[in-house]
Amino acid sequence: MAQIAAERYTGASVKRSEDPRILTGGGHYVADLKLPGMLHAAFVRSPLAHGRVLAVDVEAARALPGVVAVLTGADLAAVTIPGQDPLFAMMGGGGPQPEYSLLATDRVRFAGDPVAVVVAESRDIAEDGCELIEVDYEDLPPVMSAAFALDAGSPPIFANLGDNILGPHKRSEFGDVDGTFAAADHVHEFHIDVHRHQNVPMEGRGLVASYDADSGVLTVHAATQSVHVTRMGIAMRLGIDADKVRVLAGDIGGSFGLKIGASREELAVAAASRALGRPVKWIEDRSENLAASGQAREESFDVRAAVSKDGDLLGLDVRMVIDTGAYPVMGTMVSGIIEAMLPGPYKLAALGFESTAVATNKASYIAYRGPWASETFVRERVLDLLAKDLGLDPLELRLRNVAPRTTPPFMMITGRPLVGVTTKESLERVARMVDIPAFRRRQAEERARGRYLGIGLATFIEAAPGPRSGEAPSGPMGMEHMRLRLAEDGIVVLFTGQMPHGQSHQTTLAQIAADEFGVPFEQVRVVVGDSDVVPFGLTGGSRSATMTGGVALHGARQLKAKVLDFASLLMEASALDLDIVDGEVVVRGDPDTAIGVAEVARRAASGQFGADVDTNFEVQASFDGGEGGWSGGSHCAIVEVDVETGIVKVERYVAAEDCGALINPAVVEGQIRGGIAQGIGAVLLERSAYDLDGHVHGLPAADRL
Amino acid sequence: MDITVQVNGAARTGSVEARKTLADFLRDDLDLTGTHVGCEHGVCGACTVILDGRAVRSCLMLAVQAVGSEVTTIEGLAPDGELGTLQQAMWDSHSFQCGFCTPGFVMQATAFLTAHPDAGEQEIREALSGNICRCTGYQSIIDGVLLAAQRDRQD
Repeated sequence: MAQIAAERYTGASVKRSEDPRILTGGGHYVADLKLPGMLHAAFVRSPLAHGRVLAVDVEAARALPGVVAVLTGADLAAVTIPGQDPLFAMMGGGGPQPEYSLLATDRVRFAGDPVAVVVAESRDIAEDGCELIEVDYEDLPPVMSAAFALDAGSPPIFANLGDNILGPHKRSEFGDVDGTFAAADHVHEFHIDVHRHQNVPMEGRGLVASYDADSGVLTVHAATQSVHVTRMGIAMRLGIDADKVRVLAGDIGGSFGLKIGASREELAVAAASRALGRPVKWIEDRSENLAASGQAREESFDVRAAVSKDGDLLGLDVRMVIDTGAYPVMGTMVSGIIEAMLPGPYKLAALGFESTAVATNKASYIAYRGPWASETFVRERVLDLLAKDLGLDPLELRLRNVAPRTTPPFMMITGRPLVGVTTKESLERVARMVDIPAFRRRQAEERARGRYLGIGLATFIEAAPGPRSGEAPSGPMGMEHMRLRLAEDGIVVLFTGQMPHGQSHQTTLAQIAADEFGVPFEQVRVVVGDSDVVPFGLTGGSRSATMTGGVALHGARQLKAKVLDFASLLMEASALDLDIVDGEVVVRGDPDTAIGVAEVARRAASGQFGADVDTNFEVQASFDGGEGGWSGGSHCAIVEVDVETGIVKVERYVAAEDCGALINPAVVEGQIRGGIAQGIGAVLLERSAYDLDGHVHGLPAADRL
Repeated sequence: MDITVQVNGAARTGSVEARKTLADFLRDDLDLTGTHVGCEHGVCGACTVILDGRAVRSCLMLAVQAVGSEVTTIEGLAPDGELGTLQQAMWDSHSFQCGFCTPGFVMQATAFLTAHPDAGEQEIREALSGNICRCTGYQSIIDGVLLAAQRDRQD
């Protein structure tokens, strides 16, 4: 790995400032926190996938020494505001509105559905208390497949809805779908399933909620991808003014989309703290995490593809069904993104897309590493199947269909311009690295010996941040904000709403600001994880590197201009002739003039300057994503399949990605490799399978790649 | 019951229920929160500590079973704040991301390299195959351990 570059930090594999604490056990994760008077929560969970709750007997648990409180679904319903998942609601959450309470009251809807929470002096006692709670259930027939949920005869999981449709059927058409299919040489039909799997970060969900009755402030130490989204979610469902909720976060043990907003258990713990006036801690254990935290991506696709005899992909017509699980979080929202992204980097001229989202008796469909990523899998799988049907090479078929890079840019049939897309180059690069002709020869030789080798190619584009276009006048991803300050000790402090959980923002944002402002890397601090201090933000949706990196750049530039304006008074030189180099303000070409930025900041803070001199070394910066653009890349896997056992061995995996200018190549490579490992695990090892009675297969195993 | 365990070179006492795991004793009673609990049933390796020279899963052991033993946790590796060879090599190699699995990998690799200073990549992969990391895809962790082994041999 390269050491810090002499000239610029940006672009070098600067060693992470997060690592010294992480490597010595000095990270501070939410499970590590102890507050005076802190109590511990554990949940009673439904063993049934679908049932009626007839009675909940909590008396024995309440009588157990060390148990401070037992709150049932009914108890919590009395002190919270019913409604959708807060994140879903914030994102606009339309469609049919199922009615349910925070914890189950009259009905349980998946195996693991929380029914009551026990709060005790220790976690062990809280779990003992759970054991003493008797819940009388009446079995209801579980709805364990999307196909059954679509059946009008399936028992409605939510009593106020007459059926299990949460995202009503809708259809969109782009281009001339009927004409394209009528004129095509061939129409091929495919069915593609993406199985249910889940995030499984090393650290599950967890929080310590601490309500102070005197001030009315609820302080929540959370594991979250956004302290502000969690703050707003808790305020929404607890009926507290949002300014009376403060959310703090320290180190976070991964998330991959799981920890956004405020889940039902987290809201219940926050409500318990408010009810009891004491801090309450809940750390999700692994069996809870696997059964109840949420799962992703159970989607099926019926695809019709219109092609020419030469292999031009002319049109797609896709029918998608989404199994959202029991309580809607975001399952009904992904189809719109999948629809928009399905053409990918290709010339596709016609797209019909329809989708339906249904409720089933499974854990909720939640965000996981690009919740829309099935668009890539479906499109690329269709191209491979077409290549096979048409007897064409999968690489050639892709290259033939990739949209040309033109001015003005080629428009995706769903509306966005393909600006700066380098699909052709990344495909050609992985093909060269793998040497596909050599592989084909080896494949034929090995097949003759009874070994089965296979090759798979796929290419994608990612809206990180995405192009500026007419549809997004406020920028491709909205605004990103940052507050920056030059402190009197010469430290440049960045306050960001990003909430890193492995992405290395404390390193990468400091690299950018150090270069732009002109101080050593060690002289920049990145402050995260306090909703009273940092601006609004969210780590997710592939926004951090471009949007937050961008605002760090522009913010550092603004702050530098401010400092130089002031320094021009001290140094009796025009600000235009000044620069900041290695932490010192200098007159260009005259190194003897150097004054350290700490000295400049102290002078500014001395109060010796009049009101007409700006001595406030703090800026609020915003970035709208500029012209934006696409990231993307191509991947290639060579695998061997044991045809007797079905076991797949990945022999080689090659990726070529275009991320634009790299801030920290080692960080980028780590992200790509980690994503590949999770992808392989998701496809080959990690299906979240339910049996017909609605129990998750294999619990409580945590085997993951 | 009252117990005394040698932890990071010092005798540490506590009063625990028989059912308390070693991991919970270290974290809750001794405030050594560097040992992380990831799965609570021995699968993920995040809670790995060194007990009498061997890497063990502190979630699968009761605290009372550690009486009379010498336990080293992640906090015991760099007590003076100076990173050891392995920690330094892992920093240099960008081995980790979120850091939750990190103490387990560091302890597992420490015990392994102590016993097998000449280990090569394949042996290191084997030795770490019982630890789960969800962020990195493992390559950078292997790189770090290999680099440490190489540096140790050069010293």
